[in-house]
Amino acid sequence: MELPAQTTMGRHHRVLMVSDFFYPNFGGVENHIYYLSQCLLQRGHKVVVVTHAYGTRSGVRYMTNGLKVYYIPWLPFFMQNTLPTFYGTFPLIRNILIREGITIVHGHQAFSTLCHEALLHARTMGNKVVFTDHSLYGFADLGSIHMNKVLQFTLADVQQAICVSHTSKENTVLRSNLPSQKVFVIPNAVDTAMFKPDPSLRPSDQVVIVVISRLVYRKGADLLVEVIPAVCKRFPNVYFIVGGDGPKRVRLEEMREKHSLQDRVEMLGAVPHARVRSILVRGHIFLNSSLTEAFCIAILEAASCGLLTVSTRVGGVPEVLPLDMIVLAEPVPADMVSAVGRAIQLLPSINPFEMHKRMKTLYSWMDVAKRTEVVYDHAVNSDSNDLCERLTRYYACGPWAGKLFCLVAVIDYIFALFLQWWQCT
Amino acid sequence: METEEKPVLNGEKHVVDYPRYTYECEGHIQALASVHRIIVKQRKGRFFKIFWLTLMLCSFLLIFNSIFVSQVINGLECIFLLSTLIVRMFQKNEVTEEAVILMPMLGVQLETSYHSGKVMRRFLPMQKILAAVINEAVTPTTCYFYLALLVREKSELTLVFQEVRPPLDVLISIWKALNDATNFQPNYPASIG
Repeated sequence: MELPAQTTMGRHHRVLMVSDFFYPNFGGVENHIYYLSQCLLQRGHKVVVVTHAYGTRSGVRYMTNGLKVYYIPWLPFFMQNTLPTFYGTFPLIRNILIREGITIVHGHQAFSTLCHEALLHARTMGNKVVFTDHSLYGFADLGSIHMNKVLQFTLADVQQAICVSHTSKENTVLRSNLPSQKVFVIPNAVDTAMFKPDPSLRPSDQVVIVVISRLVYRKGADLLVEVIPAVCKRFPNVYFIVGGDGPKRVRLEEMREKHSLQDRVEMLGAVPHARVRSILVRGHIFLNSSLTEAFCIAILEAASCGLLTVSTRVGGVPEVLPLDMIVLAEPVPADMVSAVGRAIQLLPSINPFEMHKRMKTLYSWMDVAKRTEVVYDHAVNSDSNDLCERLTRYYACGPWAGKLFCLVAVIDYIFALFLQWWQCT
Repeated sequence: METEEKPVLNGEKHVVDYPRYTYECEGHIQALASVHRIIVKQRKGRFFKIFWLTLMLCSFLLIFNSIFVSQVINGLECIFLLSTLIVRMFQKNEVTEEAVILMPMLGVQLETSYHSGKVMRRFLPMQKILAAVINEAVTPTTCYFYLALLVREKSELTLVFQEVRPPLDVLISIWKALNDATNFQPNYPASIG
């Protein structure tokens, strides 16, 4: 195998991005993987993406700039996640790692079973591993406890980890007992070229508040149900545009009927990502009512379009925007209503083009790619570990869990030897 | 693994050895026909592997089912019979050789020879072939390259090699030969829709 080429910027890596979440699904993680891959390709690295098959979309596909995507034919079973068989994907992942000559495997999102499996197999094959966590998770309920244990297993043997905000780093370090020196913080970015302001589309006699989110509990749809009528009552010239779909949409429709707000609240339904900008530029204020958020790209998109943001002070949101571009409130309806009031007063002093220019300097995907490259260089330079050292780390994870993790790793190693023998004969 | 770029002439044979297959390429009648053969190497070890696996399986079943000695002896006979039958079954369906015979003026003949002596042949006239493509297939356990032909009035690709999976270099040389052969034809209007 030839050595990676040396350039002025450093070595060229061959990266495998693994996650259950990728196009044609739309979301924060998917966008992150895509933009990061494109920027890394431009910087001269080789990037391959592995995800599960979406319906009939199975096999190899090529995206822009030759980004190769493997849609492996393991069907999702629960919330977009592949069926976790521990060792089922090993032959295929091993094949992909060898034929593409991968040096670093980069997994995304703790909730993705394919990611955890691929990272385990990559470690057994001797590749370096980097993990990025995109969300905050709890500690108390049964699902979270299991998820955290799985995360602890995966992160016990990872070279470096990346989190999207300092709050997210704290959360990840607490959940997985990873030493904090191994965790880098690289915030997400926004494609400012796609989100440009256009104040001519805003009405001058009304204040338009835009809400675009999945209408689920986590995103604070219940808060919206309280806040919208209160705001409409207090500020007679306010008009709401609500985009997005979800289980809580019914509640919002009911609220609209109950308070007779049909001419003041516009419900758009599901908005494809390509149309988000055209909705955002119609507004003056962007309202985000999430109950938990590691980092909020929606706020970045709104700020890039020149909207003033009103948001709940949760998770990593305070780290996203400078304080003159955002008004924060506690996730309580009364506080949010007063925050909207403060925002309406601040509106005359906001210059959308000024905001857009600032966002361009603050956030860019190329910057994220450069910082991720630094993480890759660190990962590659960390010492290569053999099975015994890995087992020592797994064993330290807990009295029962440690032994279980060791067993899983040893069986994986034996499976690897078996596959090597089988493929060679 | 070398790839030979020299044109194949009268009766000349190029042989390239790979771990699992032998690739033979010969030309006849002043490059008006060429034969590309993929011969599967016969490995005795493989049958012993299947034999041994069947033996293990049967012995496990035996341990669970019978306790008495007489039954054990009967069981052993059953094991040997069963494993022999299974081995014969595998052997019969096994492919010994796959070949592509290119006749640029006439067409392409695809051959598959089995261990039982049966040979399956398919012929595709040159007018029907649009192009040859190398594509990647992903299965739940592996991914590999395969060579296929785009045939007129057929919505599916026609595989050139049914069972064997030769390495990419071999596929590329056969693909080049197929390309030259299909481009040999005068321009036919491409079918639309």
